[in-house]
Amino acid sequence: MTHLENATAGAPKAPAPRPAATRRARRRRRDAVMFIGPAFLIYAAFVIVPLGMSVYYSLLRWDGIGPISGATFYGLKNYIEVLTDDDLLQIIGNAFQLAAWFTIPPVVLGLAVASAIRSQMAGRFGTATRTILFLPQVIPLVAAGIAWSWMYDRNGVVNQFLSLIGLESWTRGWLGDFTYALPAVGIIGAWVLLGLCTMLLVTGIARIDGSLYEAAKLDGARPRHEFRFVTLPGLKNEIGICVTVTIIQALSSFDIVYVATAGGPGIETTVPGLEIYRLAFAHRQVGLASALAIVLMILVLACVLPIQWALRERKQ
Amino acid sequence: MADLKLRDVRKSYGQTEVIKGVDLDILDGEFVVFVGPSGCGKSTLLRLIAGLEDITSGDIEIGGRLVNDVEPRDRGVAMVFQSYALYPHMTVRENVGFGLRLAKVPKAQREQAVGEAARILQMEPLLDRKPAQLSGGQRQRVAIGRAIVRDPDVFLFDEPLSNLDAALRMDMRAELAGLHQQLDSTMIYVTHDQVEAMTLADKIVVLKDGEVQQIGAPMELYEHPANLFVAGFIGAPKMNLLPGKVTAVDGHEAVLSGADLPRLVLPAPEGDKLAAGDEITLGLRPHDLKRMPDGPLELHTDLLERLGHETVVAGHLPTGARLTAVLDGRSPVALDETIRLGFEPSSARLFDAGGRAI
Ligand SMILES: Nc1ncnc2c1ncn2[C@@H]1O[C@H](COP(=O)(O)OP(=O)(O)O)[C@@H](O)[C@H]1O
Ligand SMILES: [Mg+2]
Repeated sequence: MTHLENATAGAPKAPAPRPAATRRARRRRRDAVMFIGPAFLIYAAFVIVPLGMSVYYSLLRWDGIGPISGATFYGLKNYIEVLTDDDLLQIIGNAFQLAAWFTIPPVVLGLAVASAIRSQMAGRFGTATRTILFLPQVIPLVAAGIAWSWMYDRNGVVNQFLSLIGLESWTRGWLGDFTYALPAVGIIGAWVLLGLCTMLLVTGIARIDGSLYEAAKLDGARPRHEFRFVTLPGLKNEIGICVTVTIIQALSSFDIVYVATAGGPGIETTVPGLEIYRLAFAHRQVGLASALAIVLMILVLACVLPIQWALRERKQ
Repeated sequence: MADLKLRDVRKSYGQTEVIKGVDLDILDGEFVVFVGPSGCGKSTLLRLIAGLEDITSGDIEIGGRLVNDVEPRDRGVAMVFQSYALYPHMTVRENVGFGLRLAKVPKAQREQAVGEAARILQMEPLLDRKPAQLSGGQRQRVAIGRAIVRDPDVFLFDEPLSNLDAALRMDMRAELAGLHQQLDSTMIYVTHDQVEAMTLADKIVVLKDGEVQQIGAPMELYEHPANLFVAGFIGAPKMNLLPGKVTAVDGHEAVLSGADLPRLVLPAPEGDKLAAGDEITLGLRPHDLKRMPDGPLELHTDLLERLGHETVVAGHLPTGARLTAVLDGRSPVALDETIRLGFEPSSARLFDAGGRAI
């Protein structure tokens, strides 16, 4: 009662609309918390907590079996090992080579396909092309890895084809070859991601105002100019998404490599994802595995954030 | 600058013929407007001239050169698109200078040409902005600037003003007319708006369903529409069209009557074009109708628009046929009133049963 009286008495002093606005703002904030809350809890439980635990493990020397109280604190030594061990550095390097394979062919071919079917977009040809190119995307990666390892086999279709066109001397067991195993795996990833990139780029190119191409034609543009001055700028966002997704796929790859080569020969095709799994579950070096995982995460962010940042800046 | 000739130009998309044999002569320096309802093929015809679409048959000549198989960039035409089609990632300066850049014009010369275009269109302060930072009218200017800077033989405009608000549209219309005078080049302008056509054109081409209905100077089309379609399309408000019958032809006079028409005596057209018993349509411009105490038309008003300088009155005749008249601004007329209207016999237009002007 007194409270109410106070409020009424105090009202003339304060600017009149103020209390209502504050109450509304407070209600809005409460609604926001209610809506975001559940999602945030799930995010915390499945992302932030595991991330924090990984960071914690990366500072330990622990076999992952005994009680964690039995683990010894190891400081940054795991990180020093990740950044100095030749094998681990090569493995990180493999990931970047794989990233080039996973990213460049799908984006370049995707752009070529998108440009080529732009004019036939509405036609059946465009739809068919899109469907065919998208198919690899819906095949489980494990199945794709197995199919490709058959094709790369000493008696597989790749070598059969090379023999057929007279390149007998080029035939080899591709996935067992020290030089060609990594590119061979890279091509599998490129094949898988080509569909996704083409899909994104074809959809993106369809959104570019067709009269821009016509204006360019009248301005004297030849096809290469149209590509450079209309298509590429118009697809900047889509290309950014493709590169982001493919780089993440490459740096965090596991299943394709595991099925196709299991990381061999030697460690020629071993990628961080595979090594983390191996260190943690085969070599029982949970601390080192966690440190590698954290380094991998930082590398992914270091590659992806600048791209995202550049795209965001462009929009303003 | 160049003249332009179209000879039996046809265009089909699959089975549907969209342009059905257009013959057209456009003189050097002429401002020609293609006008017609939406979907009649105006844009298609313009794009055929630009070379953005291939003609199915016929010939197009620009400046005496057959251009059927010439690429758009080599036709000497520049086009202003309805959507403006500005390159979104380029500044205004780069947009306007793009054609010159592709033509490998040296930078200094290019800058000068862009500056000149910007001066003509009064858009110098905009040169370093991106299209997204411009208003509709400013974008329109840039699009026109991009056309000017290439110094084309023929300018093509596809409904360039349709995305602007009414006031801006009127300003830009005046500017376009001024631009034509200044540049003295051949311009082809597409619109569905007959007011734009009337105000801008040296010559209007009225299209319907891919066929030319009439070609002529604006007043020629207004005064002597070749058929019912042109009569209804050109002029606002629309020409009133009343069905009737010729009851007698007597030398220089024809006597008409109809459900809506009391006995009317009009001057008979030259030649024996009318005979007793012919079905005709009488066309009367709303502006030609006057209040007359003994006028032949009895209008019961049901719509009144006072525009200040004139008053638009619409209503129905005793039979129910609709009629519109434009009276004096201060004309003392009320809703739900019956007024008598008359007209100068010479202002009436007659159309035969096939809709052609007599
Ligand atoms: N690329 C195309 N394919 C099929 N039909 C088209 C195409 N372009 C235009 N048309 C048809 O041609 C006719 C004329 O179109 P258009 O020239 O754009 O009309 P307008 O500009 O007079 O409104 C329309 O009926 C339209 O549906
Ligand atoms: Mg059109």
